[in-house]
Amino acid sequence: MRITILDGDMNQARSDYSIFMDELVLLLKKDHSVDYYPIDKMELQYCSGCWCCWWKTPGECSQKDGAEQIFRSYINSDFIIYSSPLMVGFTSSALKKIVDRLIVLLHPYIQMKMGESHHNKRYDRYPEFGLILQREEDTDEEDIGITNNIYDRLALNFHSKRKYTRFIENTNPKEILNETCNI
Amino acid sequence: MKLVIFNGSPRYKKSNSSILIEQFLKGYNRINGNTVPVYYLANKSLREASEKIFRQADTVIVFFPLYTDCMPGIVKEFIEIIAHQSTCSESKKIGFVVQSGFPESIHSSFLEKYLRKLTLRLNCEYLGTVIKGGVEGIQIMPAPMTKKLYSQFESLGEYFGQNETFELKIMNDLRKPYTFSRTHIRFFNFLSKFGLTNFYWNSNLKKNGAYLKRFARPY
Repeated sequence: MRITILDGDMNQARSDYSIFMDELVLLLKKDHSVDYYPIDKMELQYCSGCWCCWWKTPGECSQKDGAEQIFRSYINSDFIIYSSPLMVGFTSSALKKIVDRLIVLLHPYIQMKMGESHHNKRYDRYPEFGLILQREEDTDEEDIGITNNIYDRLALNFHSKRKYTRFIENTNPKEILNETCNI
Repeated sequence: MKLVIFNGSPRYKKSNSSILIEQFLKGYNRINGNTVPVYYLANKSLREASEKIFRQADTVIVFFPLYTDCMPGIVKEFIEIIAHQSTCSESKKIGFVVQSGFPESIHSSFLEKYLRKLTLRLNCEYLGTVIKGGVEGIQIMPAPMTKKLYSQFESLGEYFGQNETFELKIMNDLRKPYTFSRTHIRFFNFLSKFGLTNFYWNSNLKKNGAYLKRFARPY
């Protein structure tokens, strides 16, 4: 199975979160092909909203900063893991930076899907995903609900499905491995 | 009140958010002569210095486009900066204006819940979130097509100048449609059979000489 991990950790120091993710990546790599991207350590630009990827160079981003390898990994993967410590109640700006740019993988044309307008597929298939988070001190059920809802909307637009949301505080890499690979 | 506006569009001054801010301020300035500063979060150094501007303001409105079902990355960075460095001990007020290319407001309604919670987390007063769909393309639309929208934003600004809050009726009008009616969906599907719903995209693709490559799959 090919798995792409988009890690939005912005903490430079070693932490419970980074230890968890290191263990998870090692575990997954034993039997699977894993493309791991620590987004904040890559020199990626924010989406500029130019829409070149939709109407100038269809399917390609105008910013050549290494994100191309992420787009290639993403669309050719069987499963995606979005991971991030929660920051002010949502996943990090580093993770949002790459999520914004994933529109390169969609087509600008609009279709009606579940009674709403959504973008057409550019590719035949889009991988499902899981969400791995770390709580903040004040994280509550409402924050978790909001985050899940927003990622469910992302799934709807990306012809995908959120398969799970797990918190590093009450799971372990082995459980994530099982859940990821039993899709 | 010291009102400050942040424009969270990555398109900077050429954004649709900029146009909506301009209309809003046209109405606002009719009541309040003060010049309202507009700060562009697309500017990296400004973004990094935004906490001080945020802290010194009495009232803040953040305008931005919906990006992949949420706020753009630059707006999330801004949120992290202001939340990390300041907790509002005074009664600061925050409002948001979220505009999207999708015509229905349902797309932005999930983010709205986050923005409300964020404001509470910052210990500020929440003025609400104005949601407006169908904004993409307003820069090329003929004037009669944007007249109502601009007038609504002008009225929104005027009311804000008088009452320091968003006018509920205008907010509700701007949100329409929340979702499309069945009739509208049938009509859309009928038009799409003839490719008529792709007009905006196709005209831009053709203008850029990219029409024949529109279904490209480079990855």
